[in-house]
Amino acid sequence: MAVNLEYVFRETVSNLKRNVSMASAALLTVAVSLTLVGGALLVKRGVDRATVQWKGNVELSIFMNATASQPESEAVDRQLKSMPEVKSYRYVSKPEAFEEFKQIFANEPDVRESLTVEQIPPSYRVVPREAEQTKIVGERFEDTAGVFRVSYAKEEVDALVSVTNFLQIMLWGIAAVLLAAASLLILNTIRMAIFARRREVAVMKLVGATNWFIRVPFMLEGLLQGLAGATLAFGVVWIGRDLIQDRIAGARNDIQLFKQFLVTGADVTGTGILLLVVGVVVGTVGSALAVSRFLDV
Amino acid sequence: MIRLREVNKTYKGNVVALRDVSLDIAKQEFVFVVGPTGSGKSTMIRLLIKEEKPDSGRIWVAGKDIGQLSSWKVPLLRRNIGCVFQDFKLLPTKTAYENVAFALEVIGRPPHVIKQQVPQVLDLVGLTKKRDHFPNEMSGGEQQRVSIARAFVNRPLILLADEPTGNLDPSTSVGIMRLLDRINRTGTTVVMSTHDSSIVDTMRRRVIELDRGVIVRDQARGVYGAFT
Repeated sequence: MAVNLEYVFRETVSNLKRNVSMASAALLTVAVSLTLVGGALLVKRGVDRATVQWKGNVELSIFMNATASQPESEAVDRQLKSMPEVKSYRYVSKPEAFEEFKQIFANEPDVRESLTVEQIPPSYRVVPREAEQTKIVGERFEDTAGVFRVSYAKEEVDALVSVTNFLQIMLWGIAAVLLAAASLLILNTIRMAIFARRREVAVMKLVGATNWFIRVPFMLEGLLQGLAGATLAFGVVWIGRDLIQDRIAGARNDIQLFKQFLVTGADVTGTGILLLVVGVVVGTVGSALAVSRFLDV
Repeated sequence: MIRLREVNKTYKGNVVALRDVSLDIAKQEFVFVVGPTGSGKSTMIRLLIKEEKPDSGRIWVAGKDIGQLSSWKVPLLRRNIGCVFQDFKLLPTKTAYENVAFALEVIGRPPHVIKQQVPQVLDLVGLTKKRDHFPNEMSGGEQQRVSIARAFVNRPLILLADEPTGNLDPSTSVGIMRLLDRINRTGTTVVMSTHDSSIVDTMRRRVIELDRGVIVRDQARGVYGAFT
């Protein structure tokens, strides 16, 4: 197909100039829709990160008998060390456990006084590599000699896993729906712009222009609009992320929930590239589809 | 140049546009197609540029069976046929010069060819002075001249004119007819549908009369009225 490049560029530029309002409507539609999509994707990235950390802090405790012997303790220690599922663990000795116990019952002297250091069971606090493995790790020690009892926050873990799974699915869903809505909106805007120029297309057909010859300037226009809109969306998402991250950084230290909600610069760049690709593809393909409706004569 | 064989065309709702139409138009002929509104004149022209497909029958244009033409070759067919319409179909955002040049750009002619041919054809239709006017700055007759220039700039084998004088006053119409006659003398086959009896009667060319999709008369050097 020998398309005169000079013609294509001149035609594209003059069309964009002539249809400034339609072109900017399409551009803004792309920008707004893709900003929403980008926002949803970044929130999802943040939740992913936070989830990993929340799950990473789930512990289980292996309480030894208060009377457990040294070899029994060492056996548990060795086994923990050899298990690949275990990320980290620490030994809480009798005096440490007693301190903890005193703190927990600080307001209840009766309980506090009822036990001595010797009666408090020492324990291993174990952090499994993944929250889902808590139970597997714990069960391994239930019948081990010297172990008094394995305690894990089973229900909390289950709740956490199901809530975060749900959150992730929901955010995927929102991003997908927004993306679909954005694509349709962009398509519709392009179609309206081309509908306004159907007369021109009809004349082109009449004088013997090939379909590709008619399509190419429209596609180039769509590409430019999609690219410009996506770039705008990229910018908005970038600035928005910086603003939110600044707020979180400025917030009080102890709000762990927010601290863990981390969106890195790489996340923003990745999302931005996705937005650019979507903008370009939807703009180009959308224009090609929209103009095709007027080509079947 | 043009040959129709047993061509039938019916639109939705059993509206018969053409029924069993067969005809031959030779190279360099000038043919009027006459008949009342709805007799199938416009349909015939649309069939020749493959804007519509016949329900049955075969059509040859410039030696090619256009029913066999694959859709990507339709533009090539149209480059051999110039079209002129009652409503001019000019692009309102382009000047007279640009409207004519557009027809050449669209078929990929190089700029130096365009720069040479467009002024020539504008001169032929007598619009050299109006070359930088937009359609809304020109009279109906001038606009029709631009559209004829656009149809002819590519030196097509055939010129189809669908009621080209339908929107013009009689004296302007005479000018347009002179132009079409001149184009015909350069060797281009001209097929023109019309309602205008005085034009047909003055020109005395071949007349094909359609009535409800059927050819009721095909007369060399004919006139508009049916009973002469």
